[in-house]
Amino acid sequence: MTINLEILDSAYVYAPKVIEELNTKELVPKMVVRRRLTRAAKIAIYLADKVSFSNGRIIYGSSFGELSATANILNSINSKEPISPTHFQNSVYNTAVSYLSMLSDNKNEIMTISSGDNTSLKILKSGAIKSLDGDTLLLLATETLNIDKIEEVSSCIDFLESGVALKVRFTDEEATIDLNNINNGVKTPKSLDHMLNIAKSMHMDKPNIIEMIL
Amino acid sequence: MKIKNKIFITATSSVSCAGDDDKTLFTNICDGNSGIKQDKNYFFEAQPAIGKLCSTSAFYDALLLQCQNILDQSKLEDFNDTLLIIGSSVGGMNTTEEIYLKTQNYKNIDPDFHHINAIANIINEKFDFYDDISFSTACTSSANAIGYAYEVLSKGVYKNALVVGVDSLSKITVGGFLTLGVLSSTPCKPFDADRDGMNVAEAIACLLLESESSDNAIEVCGVGYSSDAYHMTHPHPDGKGAISAMSQALKSASIESKQIDYINAHGTGTIANDNAEANAIATLFPHRPCVSSTKSVTGHTLGAAGALEAIISCMVLKEQKYPKNTFLDTPENTNLNLPLISKEDEINYVLSNSFAFGGNNCSLVFGKCK
Repeated sequence: MTINLEILDSAYVYAPKVIEELNTKELVPKMVVRRRLTRAAKIAIYLADKVSFSNGRIIYGSSFGELSATANILNSINSKEPISPTHFQNSVYNTAVSYLSMLSDNKNEIMTISSGDNTSLKILKSGAIKSLDGDTLLLLATETLNIDKIEEVSSCIDFLESGVALKVRFTDEEATIDLNNINNGVKTPKSLDHMLNIAKSMHMDKPNIIEMIL
Repeated sequence: MKIKNKIFITATSSVSCAGDDDKTLFTNICDGNSGIKQDKNYFFEAQPAIGKLCSTSAFYDALLLQCQNILDQSKLEDFNDTLLIIGSSVGGMNTTEEIYLKTQNYKNIDPDFHHINAIANIINEKFDFYDDISFSTACTSSANAIGYAYEVLSKGVYKNALVVGVDSLSKITVGGFLTLGVLSSTPCKPFDADRDGMNVAEAIACLLLESESSDNAIEVCGVGYSSDAYHMTHPHPDGKGAISAMSQALKSASIESKQIDYINAHGTGTIANDNAEANAIATLFPHRPCVSSTKSVTGHTLGAAGALEAIISCMVLKEQKYPKNTFLDTPENTNLNLPLISKEDEINYVLSNSFAFGGNNCSLVFGKCK
């Protein structure tokens, strides 16, 4: 079965270590909220704003989730120090998109997928199936791998922080982007590849449509 | 959601602290035999009551055994046409923690067996599936996995789906909930005025969903999702998100609230959850259906809870018997019908609630096949 998706808008961002310009102060004016946000949450909030999506269903994904919060908890256990409640509550995989829902008062269905290197492919497949209901969805993926000693476990990623957002809806029109013939050309985490490739292949002058094979 | 096909649960298999098969699980729930015990293996200074897997096998061997049980029960020859849907909040975290605390570095950690997808990777080493997808929304993970299976099968996208709800305990999980101050040192008493917290537990719960019914199958009638958009760890006190998820599940099932005979509550035993859920149920179900939390026997199995409680809901419908609220002495919310004894009755529809960190909510409606 195949389902075609029209990409209505897209945004992406990545940096070798830390993405500097996420506009968090403006997007999250309350400091008490801002200081609790994880890096992934800040990227999610930035990208949702970039594609002007504030209310509707979201399918979010990350292969490694909130790695920094998890590493902090492990270090606390290892050094027999108390675990930070904030680190624990921020360690679940749906943290980033939960903060996004709170800040935009979005009470809709919000899913979190974590399917390893195929995470963004699975987000696209899930988005295609859900798009059959007729609404516009936000597909969102982030990886935040910038933790101390990350090189011990991963040396093949040039960009430790990355994120991509696609605003999509179902279409009957033919595909204009060939998913098999695009490559984003940089060593971002593989889990983002499929969505990043699409975001980078967007045409300004014609509809952007992909065919998802399920 | 536009529905094409009816969807049925045709096979189930589980292991938890309350039993190593579904019948034992349900008998222990109805009889009030809790699998929750005090444990000091995680942290010497605290002795929370928790639920360890009731199995002689290693955790991942038990996982593969549950999948094999499903295949043996089903009419399938293999899983080649099956979508594997994982629901887990921690994935392979236990393995990572073990290696890191032993070596104090990440060098020997295999990323493919650390993340949530580690579960799918382990299952895919033994079985061939058509495709797989893993959901991780904390304590709603496997409820959302069942919801997704219901959606994709009812839309006719896949032939059948194996949902696997799975979570193991680790120092991160036990220590994390300890630091939030919500763990009880005795088996929990959800909805009791004197409750003092929850019990974390581990479980593996598998369900095969198909668009064709078979003997003893249970229908998945509907699913409802919502987000609280309120707080990372506290639900809205009025249970607004819970009301929304339950209402949408009823709408999806095309039934009225008065048709629900039994509610398997999320019922963790924490003040915040129980109050919000009780308010939500009392608002939406004025006809006072039987409500019980089975977590006093199974513990809160986190990402596996939705799938484990879906199996319990199936057993309720098969046995036509609703389970009691074990250890409940003094119900705090008198608007709820909280049975103190397990009882046989005519039960046509069951609603099962799952709520999670981040205000993620999922309600499922199950029905007796007609």
